[in-house]
Amino acid sequence: MSGAGPSASVALRPWPAPQKEAIPPADLFSRVHQLTIERGHLRSITEKSLQDDIDTGKDVATDIVEGVEQSQKKDAPTRQERVQEIAQKQVEMYQALDWASFAAGNALDLVAQLLSRDPVKNLDASFSEKYKQQRVPKGSFGLDKGAPPDRSDEKEEQQRIQDTEKRRQLVARGSRMEALEWSTDSFLKAAGQLQTEVHKETTYWNEIMSISQRGWSLQRFGRESRNSPFAVRYGFAEASDHFKARGLAPLRMSKDGSIILDPTLALKPKTLRVRISDSGKVVGTSCLPTQGQTTDVAVERSIQLARDSLFEEELYHEISLETRQLLAYGVELRNSVIHLQAPGPDPNFTDRKVLIDCIARDDETLGSQDQSENWMAQNVAEALRLLLTHEHRMRLFRRSQLPSPLTKQKSARTNPPLLRTLLAAFYHLNAVDSLQAYLARVASVLNSAGLRVSLQTTRETTWVSLTNLIAESTKKDLSATDQLLEVFTKPFDGLATLSLPSNELQPEKITIATRTYIGAPTFGAEHKVTLPPSLVSVLSLSQDQKREFKFPTTEEVTSYLDWVLSLDLSHTLLTKEYGRRAVIMSKDPHISVICKEGKERVQKDVSIQLADGKLSVTVGSNIPPENVYAEQSCTWDGTKGEPALKDKLKSWVG
Amino acid sequence: MHELLLYGQVPRSRHEQVLKVLAGVAAMQPRRVLQRHIVYKPTREPEEPGSNIRRGGTQAVAVKNTKQTPPKDLNFSQLVQKLSDEEFGSHSNGPPAALTANGASAAEAKWSMVFNETPDTTDRGVLTRLAQTTDITSGDPHAYMVAGRHQFVSEYYVEGHRFVHENVVILFHRVLHEPGVRSLETAPKEVLPTFEALQSLDPSGAYILEAKIRVQDLNNLTVLEAGVSELKRFQTQMKGCVELAVPDRLSLDTRVKYKPKTA
Repeated sequence: MSGAGPSASVALRPWPAPQKEAIPPADLFSRVHQLTIERGHLRSITEKSLQDDIDTGKDVATDIVEGVEQSQKKDAPTRQERVQEIAQKQVEMYQALDWASFAAGNALDLVAQLLSRDPVKNLDASFSEKYKQQRVPKGSFGLDKGAPPDRSDEKEEQQRIQDTEKRRQLVARGSRMEALEWSTDSFLKAAGQLQTEVHKETTYWNEIMSISQRGWSLQRFGRESRNSPFAVRYGFAEASDHFKARGLAPLRMSKDGSIILDPTLALKPKTLRVRISDSGKVVGTSCLPTQGQTTDVAVERSIQLARDSLFEEELYHEISLETRQLLAYGVELRNSVIHLQAPGPDPNFTDRKVLIDCIARDDETLGSQDQSENWMAQNVAEALRLLLTHEHRMRLFRRSQLPSPLTKQKSARTNPPLLRTLLAAFYHLNAVDSLQAYLARVASVLNSAGLRVSLQTTRETTWVSLTNLIAESTKKDLSATDQLLEVFTKPFDGLATLSLPSNELQPEKITIATRTYIGAPTFGAEHKVTLPPSLVSVLSLSQDQKREFKFPTTEEVTSYLDWVLSLDLSHTLLTKEYGRRAVIMSKDPHISVICKEGKERVQKDVSIQLADGKLSVTVGSNIPPENVYAEQSCTWDGTKGEPALKDKLKSWVG
Repeated sequence: MHELLLYGQVPRSRHEQVLKVLAGVAAMQPRRVLQRHIVYKPTREPEEPGSNIRRGGTQAVAVKNTKQTPPKDLNFSQLVQKLSDEEFGSHSNGPPAALTANGASAAEAKWSMVFNETPDTTDRGVLTRLAQTTDITSGDPHAYMVAGRHQFVSEYYVEGHRFVHENVVILFHRVLHEPGVRSLETAPKEVLPTFEALQSLDPSGAYILEAKIRVQDLNNLTVLEAGVSELKRFQTQMKGCVELAVPDRLSLDTRVKYKPKTA
């Protein structure tokens, strides 16, 4: 009650008296009540009158007597006493309630009076009726907070204050100790944490630096920037959309600071495998692409592998899309292996196939013992890779050109010609090589028969002048590599010229142009034979007819050339040789020569056949006396030292 | 052919930075562009207003139905010559060959004739104008223009870089001119001045960013909308780097002010 804190300063109770004389309020009420009963009223109860009473001994006796009486009566309370007691208690209770309501009413009035300073508050209902009658003006009562009276001079108080002070100091010291201990702990913890953070950051940045120094392009990563502030871009800028999106991997930080492998980096690396199969037997396999600089950091290695794998997968993807257009060329996609017919020059292996698939890099591919065609498989694989890289660069090139104005027509995206180029190269080389082999054989056979022919062959006209082409190119934007590779995406043109054996002085030439393109208009290799004018008369073609004939296969062109050359030999060379004596009997390479043997005129049939790389001359005649049909023939197959055709004929025909 | 256009301005100090930003946006290296623009003014008389209405007594009843077409404006036109760095100030290269066009195909043509109409009044958020470019592959372009009743006005040079971002052609350039000689010239120079002798037309040396989409036909609304939205997308993409805006259409006015000859 005394000296309560300043927070308890709303003192609605009487100021406490000093402890000795203090009577608690509950006692005071009972004391007042007691006095009222004793004296009848409170009037004239002063210290003096009481002292007088004590001195005269007026009330002491009665008090004692009453006390005695009460104690006597307590032994056996009667019913009457019980009723009296209850009534008394009832009175007491009512009095206490009266007091309570009086005090509460006073308190309420006081509070209301205090609050009535605020004119906004409507407090009429809060005042008690009695208070209202007194008409105390509103707001006439003030409340102020004051310092409690100074009681430091009292000894007890001083003692108490000192005690409190001591206790407080003790508590303060204790809590300070505790706080210091706690802060030391947290400092240590922070230091430890900082150390691991620093270590983490150092490891992370070292790895980032080493990745960056290897030339990988790093970029800021917007999302999830807390764990992976950087991402590495290893994909190809010009790859098709799906693969372009895959070319980015975030570099996340693990708990110890090293870089966590992103799922995209941790995928099993794949590689393109090319196999050559001859009638179902694998005779060659491409080897793994060479690994660049090997590094110690696992992340760099996996980035590199991911990059390689992405490239190979895109290559396989593009190729497998392309197979759909190439079904007519015998390209099939079976069990995710692309089968490509590749007719080789060797006639023993007509069933040669190129098998392309995409396999896991660490897959053991040692399937066959025969490694004889490894070079070819390897070259095919490298060619496909080069072509895709070329396509990437060409995409950038096409993108950088001025775009055509917007129109309704959407430009369709075309697949890069990868397999088509490969197929075209196969077809072309095959066609040109077999033609050249045939022509070389024909030329050697004719030469061995004493006929002068010259042969010039070119496998591909642009390949011959490739360096000049690039040196003289006006395209500044394209690099030499791309110009070189661009040659391969265009139709291939082979050229062969063979001079006719009939006219040695002014040789006329047959020109055979081979054009290969997978697509319109040739859809493969095509030979175009251009005949010289002298053959026009032999073949009895009309003058205005084109002297060009197109053949889709080498077999057709060789048989045609066989026929044309035989005709040239018989119809041009021999008629020139024998003049009027020669009679052309048919459109086949047969002529009849009329000779005089003695007096008889003998008709000798000379037939010339050029086939399968052999030139054979047959002279048949009816020998006059018995008219027996006799035949003489001679064959040239290119071996030297044989007599010349003309000499042979001269000996037979004359 | 029509062009959709937006323009922005970049101070010289930010040239490098914007060049790099654009290279990133377009994902390609900048291509250097050097051009000489020669401005010609037509010397012929414009068609007289209402000249298609017959005057004098006529028996034709249908005269009323004749549409009153507004007089056709005459516009300045330009010859544009693609240049390379070596061509500037090359006196020693024998006879001046500056004024002959050559080029095997249109893509390699050095000269072209450019005709731009005043941008039209429609508000699409981008400027729209009719533009014709004709590549000249042989002959003397200046002689051709003079023969077509054009009069040489002046020449200026454009130096900058070009980017292609999908269909948006971005020309980041500034206009250069040879100071002091403009009024003296009567024909385009046969020998180009040295590059160092050229001065930026804007004394502060600021660069212009021109974003252009070419549209074949304005009548096809879908194509036009696609072009406009693509250009606006580029505008939003560049926000914060270069503010691309629609300039006052009359600042690109190419019409010739016609003063009737006083008799």
